[in-house]
Amino acid sequence: MNWKKHFSTFTGAAICGAACFAIWPEMWKSYGIMGGWLAATIIISIMWYMNHWLGVIENPPGMLWADQGFAISAAGIAWAVVRFDAVPTQALPTMICCAVVVKQVLPRYNGQSDKK
Amino acid sequence: MHQFLSTYSDTLGMSPVSAITTIFGAFCVTFVVIICWGKLVEDFGPKGGMLCSAIIVGTFWVVNHKLPGFGINPEGLAHPDGGTKQFGLIYQGFKGAAPWVDMGTCIAIGLWCHSLFLGKRGERGALVRESLPRVLAMILGGIVGGGVLGLVGWTGANLFGYK
Repeated sequence: MNWKKHFSTFTGAAICGAACFAIWPEMWKSYGIMGGWLAATIIISIMWYMNHWLGVIENPPGMLWADQGFAISAAGIAWAVVRFDAVPTQALPTMICCAVVVKQVLPRYNGQSDKK
Repeated sequence: MHQFLSTYSDTLGMSPVSAITTIFGAFCVTFVVIICWGKLVEDFGPKGGMLCSAIIVGTFWVVNHKLPGFGINPEGLAHPDGGTKQFGLIYQGFKGAAPWVDMGTCIAIGLWCHSLFLGKRGERGALVRESLPRVLAMILGGIVGGGVLGLVGWTGANLFGYK
């Protein structure tokens, strides 16, 4: 039953997105740059362990890698739109810069890894 | 030079310099994650992955997303033209008016494309079709998680003067 796996992915994504934007800005506001670095350590480590090592986000071997970054990306935009009344379209230029140009270069360097 | 570099600001919605720094920052973090993360997990198991979150994501957070202030000016330095000045590579629109674009965007798309181009030429369409529901579920989950988190701004409690 595929829907169970998609629901598992959905749940992992929601937890990861909420954890990132609940903790990261507060840590950085309180402790500055070291707080941000520490936030990466405590959030991403446990979220990676849950989502990718234990496999809450579904990633069958040999298929395309779906990273929890998708969840963090979507959560960052949704969070700012709901919380700060941000205009979603204002994210577009940065999103395009992040997404399009560089990715054509990357596959030439083959890391030969299947677990991230 | 400054005038030349800001020629196309209105057309792009961001200054060309920001486009350059954003692309460079996105490339750096994605490259390091693709090359190092898998290898470290192979070498150290789950400990390697948790180590990576500190030494890769933590370090590149400082490169890509830091804003000025060491606990002193955490809201950023005020810019004469409005908004705040930022020192991170990935461009963010004016605070409060533009959503946050995280470096997770480029890492996720980079890893997705990486595994796409590792696949054989004829099978790539099937690979994409297989992965789309997973990616969609994840983006939906992110929207729900982030949206619900954003709702805390509406509770009306004003404990420490934060919005």
